[in-house]
Amino acid sequence: MDILQLIQSNLLTPIVLFFLFGIIAARIKSDLKIPQAISEFLPIYLLAAIGLHGGIQMRTTGFENMLVPMLVAIGLSLLFTLNHYQILRKLGKFNIFDSYALASTYGAVGAVTFSVGLSFLKNQGVTSEGYLAAVLAVLEPVAFILAIFLTNMAVSKQINAKKQSFTNDSKSDIDVGLNETKIKLSKILRESVTGKAIVILLGSIVIGYIIGKEGFGPIKIVFDDLFTGAIVIFMIEMGIIAGQRLDDLKKVGIFLISFSIIMPTFNGIIGVVVATLIGLSMGGSVMFGLLLASASFIAAPAVLRNAIPQANPSLYITSALGITFPYNIIVLLPIMFAVSSLLHDPEGSIDLFHYSLKDLI
Amino acid sequence: MKLYPVKLLTITCEILAQKNIIEILTKHEITGYTTYEVNGNGARGLRSQGLTNEKNVKIEIILREEKLQDIVEEVSRTLFANFAIVLYVSDIGVLRTEKF
Repeated sequence: MDILQLIQSNLLTPIVLFFLFGIIAARIKSDLKIPQAISEFLPIYLLAAIGLHGGIQMRTTGFENMLVPMLVAIGLSLLFTLNHYQILRKLGKFNIFDSYALASTYGAVGAVTFSVGLSFLKNQGVTSEGYLAAVLAVLEPVAFILAIFLTNMAVSKQINAKKQSFTNDSKSDIDVGLNETKIKLSKILRESVTGKAIVILLGSIVIGYIIGKEGFGPIKIVFDDLFTGAIVIFMIEMGIIAGQRLDDLKKVGIFLISFSIIMPTFNGIIGVVVATLIGLSMGGSVMFGLLLASASFIAAPAVLRNAIPQANPSLYITSALGITFPYNIIVLLPIMFAVSSLLHDPEGSIDLFHYSLKDLI
Repeated sequence: MKLYPVKLLTITCEILAQKNIIEILTKHEITGYTTYEVNGNGARGLRSQGLTNEKNVKIEIILREEKLQDIVEEVSRTLFANFAIVLYVSDIGVLRTEKF
């Protein structure tokens, strides 16, 4: 399948069109906006639908085969976060706080992006593994925890260095860092695990698992048939917020703009390839790639503002919402879909692995 | 009518700093306060648009002068540098001074 053709047909789906429409509405300074209660309700609804779906499918697939993809996803997410930090700090010359905040924003996952991905696959008539909803829930706090830990360690390293010019008390940085982090982390962990996103997601997975296909029947009309429509309404809101932030792009700078396009592409493609290698289906690999490509823009500000308050929020919100999110749903999703279908093509796959292996060696 | 003089501390800040302020208040054993979500414009740009996390909140605390100093000092030391925040104090009179 031609990638350009896929992107083109993806452009003309209601999700993307309404997102672009929202941007235009914001640019012409229309007073159009989605009532606050609805825009707070929709993410909850989307997560509930994702969770139910995942839970129902997990009933048939079981938990065992979820373990490997989940561990691989956590590992990749941590690795990518560290990689982002190096790039931002060394090449982008961002300060330590902005670097860690941005690194974790891009290492974390976006639930809205995930919903769009599911609806994209539905549109293409492809299914994905249900347990990816559980991976989404587990992945949500991982990158933040790492970034917060490393930030605290770096800060206490500086404080220690200053202290040591006065005394010779040689308490190791890691000790101080660990102590500082313990207090902060336990608080943040509790907050993010009891946060509404994870609670509703995990709760719906459990309920979906209990009720199964038969129990889902009566509520299918709300949680399945309306899913794409609800995303469309939410896309208007996302478009408006992204549109209002377009002016901030100048402050973000060319480096971060390219970062927020190149990094997701790199992470996403690696995600698709790795997912294929560990045996996920064609649709599942796309979703796995999307998990790693997406950046967090709803959870990130709430977590980071408290954990790393020194970081400038307009950097990570604007780049994640204004650039990466539209890029992911408009361009990268079809690309990953094409890559995944290429890898999963029974004849093509052997060739491609052969090539990619040869390249590595 | 006899009015007793106390202080009114008003803090307008981004909603994500609200928790930190309430924590400081609790630490100083202040349990009474009023909050409301507000919109506005300031040094950090128009606040209220878009994401609910970017709203502003206004916190009013009635307290005696003895506690005021410590609280204002701690808020300014821990929050001024990194958050959108404005703080001011006014003299007010209350009827039932034992409440504060």
